[in-house]
Amino acid sequence: MQFQVIAKCNTTRARVSRMTLAHGVTMLPTFMPVATQAAIKGLTANQMQALGVTLILNNTYHLNLRPGLEVLNQAGGAHKFQGWDRNLLTDSGGFQLVSLSKFTTITEEGALFASPFTGEPTMLTPEESISIQHIIGADIIMQLDDVVSSLTTGPRVEEAMNRSVRWLDRCIAQHEKSGTKSTQNLFAIVQGGLDSVLRDRCLDAMIARRNGVAGYAIGGLSGGEEKDVFWRVIKQCCDKLPEERPRYSMGIGFAEDLLVCVALGVDMADCVFPTRTARFGVALTHDGPLNLKLSKHAKEFQSIDESCPCPTCTDKTSRAMLHHIVTHETAGAHALTLHNVVFQAQVMGRAREAIIAGTFPDYLKQFFARYFGDAGYPEWCVNALRSVGVDLLEGTPAAKIVSGNGAKWEYAAINPQ
Amino acid sequence: MSTFSFSLQSPTRFGPRLGSVVLKRPSIDIEIATPGLLATTSRGAVPHLSRDHVRISDAIRWVNVSFETFLEHNPPIPTLQALQPGTSSASNPLHTFLGFTPNKHIVSMSARDPHDGRDMPPNGNAHVSVQSLRGVRKLSPTDWRSYVQACQPDIVFALSDTPFTDPQYSQKRLTKSIERSAAWLSSLLNLKSPPPPPKTSTKKVVNNTSSNVDTLIPTNTRIPPVFLHLAGIASPGARKAFSDSLLEPLSGPEAEALLPLSKLDDGVAGYTIDLVPLKSSVEATSTGVESQIVPLLVTSLSALPIPKPRLITATQSPHEILRYIGSVGVDLFDAGWVQKAADYGVALDFEFPVRRTSGLREIGHNLYDVRYRMDFGALADALRGTLSPQEDIEDKPVCPCAACSPVSPSTRIFHGHDTPLVSGEEEQSSPRHLPHYTRAYIHHLLHTHEMSAHALLVLHNLAVLDAFFAGVRGVIKDGEARWEEEVGRFGEVYDARLGVVEEARERWREVDLARGKGRLARERSKQVDVGAEAVVGVEVRIEV
Repeated sequence: MQFQVIAKCNTTRARVSRMTLAHGVTMLPTFMPVATQAAIKGLTANQMQALGVTLILNNTYHLNLRPGLEVLNQAGGAHKFQGWDRNLLTDSGGFQLVSLSKFTTITEEGALFASPFTGEPTMLTPEESISIQHIIGADIIMQLDDVVSSLTTGPRVEEAMNRSVRWLDRCIAQHEKSGTKSTQNLFAIVQGGLDSVLRDRCLDAMIARRNGVAGYAIGGLSGGEEKDVFWRVIKQCCDKLPEERPRYSMGIGFAEDLLVCVALGVDMADCVFPTRTARFGVALTHDGPLNLKLSKHAKEFQSIDESCPCPTCTDKTSRAMLHHIVTHETAGAHALTLHNVVFQAQVMGRAREAIIAGTFPDYLKQFFARYFGDAGYPEWCVNALRSVGVDLLEGTPAAKIVSGNGAKWEYAAINPQ
Repeated sequence: MSTFSFSLQSPTRFGPRLGSVVLKRPSIDIEIATPGLLATTSRGAVPHLSRDHVRISDAIRWVNVSFETFLEHNPPIPTLQALQPGTSSASNPLHTFLGFTPNKHIVSMSARDPHDGRDMPPNGNAHVSVQSLRGVRKLSPTDWRSYVQACQPDIVFALSDTPFTDPQYSQKRLTKSIERSAAWLSSLLNLKSPPPPPKTSTKKVVNNTSSNVDTLIPTNTRIPPVFLHLAGIASPGARKAFSDSLLEPLSGPEAEALLPLSKLDDGVAGYTIDLVPLKSSVEATSTGVESQIVPLLVTSLSALPIPKPRLITATQSPHEILRYIGSVGVDLFDAGWVQKAADYGVALDFEFPVRRTSGLREIGHNLYDVRYRMDFGALADALRGTLSPQEDIEDKPVCPCAACSPVSPSTRIFHGHDTPLVSGEEEQSSPRHLPHYTRAYIHHLLHTHEMSAHALLVLHNLAVLDAFFAGVRGVIKDGEARWEEEVGRFGEVYDARLGVVEEARERWREVDLARGKGRLARERSKQVDVGAEAVVGVEVRIEV
């Protein structure tokens, strides 16, 4: 991997970098759409490429079960299997073991879980996770970590953190002897829950292993924790992680989360949210999400966003037509998926432009003003951005602030019909 | 303004015929060689295809839109498109609303989905019962005309009084059916009768761009070319009577109203035959279904003018298509069955004329089947992908679909500081061919319920059917003897029982049911968890 920081924001910790991998260049910060089962829901690899996406994510846990390694091996790796010749990242499968399987037991050796097909006890070790990811062949692979829910407290958090460090050593060792280091890049995952002392220890230990890792992910978040705690952990990690390594915040997808993370120094993020919400009929826009299921959109002939470069909007697909087909026709899901993937890319692309131009703080202010409008700014965003020198409320002291998560959503009740 | 024409190479009344449908637009002519296909839609969209996929499919040149799903709103939303700034009823408002390209697509509009054979409440003297998501609606001939005028499709299907009640229709019902169908055609063609009064409900739907209710009355009174369903169901007598009624000289006030037409048939651009109601009523009377239908169609067509296109809906196999081409002279076929096969996970694989004649073969592959798990070949054996390995090429024609012969996008979107200038990557070169998507990949997508599988399969299946029709036209050109020979050979090589489609459909149902059960099981366990005793409600499954 070649990683080059090419510009930094003068105010915040945001930066623009060029990440060159075996399947091309990806400009950071970027959002990675999730192709869990080797396909972005409903789309083809060609369509994704036309959208200007250069890096997507596959899930190791899922691909290992289906199609299985035999098939992937025969196909010549996941890139060829799905017809995607741009960059690809695979997770380690650790998160799914915890989120999808009730019976997972973590031992020092690895994660013991019941096979979802046969029910047989199956062991996933750090070595095995890396070997599986070698066969999948992604450009960025993740260490197996000991994942605990971000709401977990007590000694289990510390145990998981320490074990993640030990597992990182085993992953590095496995990766070193694979011979794929020139094309595949191992990322470490910083754990430690919401406890700043544990996070700090984890950071120290993992930074000490920097020669074995190409980048760092911040894990153990996005599990329902308070947003005000979430951003502080992100900030703590970004402040400490080495400048010359990309930083990846796992499971982040709301526009406001993305921009706060970018301001704190994050380079990459992934989430199923934009593609999943598309299937439920929600289009993301710079004025906030648009729930096209609502009957108030039935007679609107304008597109989702006239300035959006996505195929759905440039084709002037009306909200009325989308209302007619979303959640009834897969074509409705496809139209919104195309749009939402582009929306995410636009949010990040505009951030890159603004950082380069030295206007990133202004971009943040404009984005938040437009996105939240009268709904009010989430308090945690205001706090987080103040910590890096941007005051969203500057010039608008009367602006409304909402506590809690403050995520914006379009509900039926807002505009009953 | 566009004009529709149909021409035949030779005036064949019954038997294989070569022709072409031409729709002349100010900018371009769209031509469809016949026998040929039209694609079906669901809620106005070609199922599983995003608009960019619709456009890259060369097989999609004519799409039929069943309008009943839009009757959930009154007035139907597409009828408001012409009132929007930038569109007018002089342009192509229905194309605009649904995203079809006037320079590439012919869009026709029928009231009902010709594939829907569910029982319906009876029609009335002045309405057809139609199905919408919010239940059954009544559609009157005058409303139909105003919707057509507002939407301006390229072709409209006249309302037909086709009963979807329990078959075994009485003489009285048959008489009514043909009388109403003729009367409704007449009212569609009658431009002199006053426009229908504006709906009372239109006041509240008038949107922000216009507050004037009067503008809802279409300013464009033009009626597009009319296709007429040949009524009479399974009764030869009724079918003949209906055809005769089209040819009778008009008289009285009707003649005056329909000037300059001298008979109803003068206002008809083409004929349609809906197989679904026909099959169900034939089934009700006897066993040999298909051998019954051909004579019925012959009865309908024997006196009608030869050079008008004949369109049949809801055929189910290539064998059936060949039969209607060979013994009736049908020109246009909807592709509903190949699109449906894509739902079930079937990649079609047949060719006409047959080049390789070893053994009996299925017309496609059920890609759910585990035998495709490690099969990295292209979807069809009869066709190849542009980049398929050399040894596999023989003299196979190329399947141009986006699954077998994908082409890299010619452009990509840039989002900010990611152009080649910044990234240092090479500029996107001109589009190039990419390797085919494999059977193994689609097998995987089907097993993981990924929608991309269906998108690729729909594109492929339409291309296979399109290539089939091109082959059919080539053989017809070579004369009757060759035709008979090739049809015979096709029947020997391809299994007409369609086992593969049937089996895939069964499997698809099983998966669907299992998923339903899974959900119910989860809900049950959830209720046990909370200690509630509520009964899980009956789940209604909607076929997607």
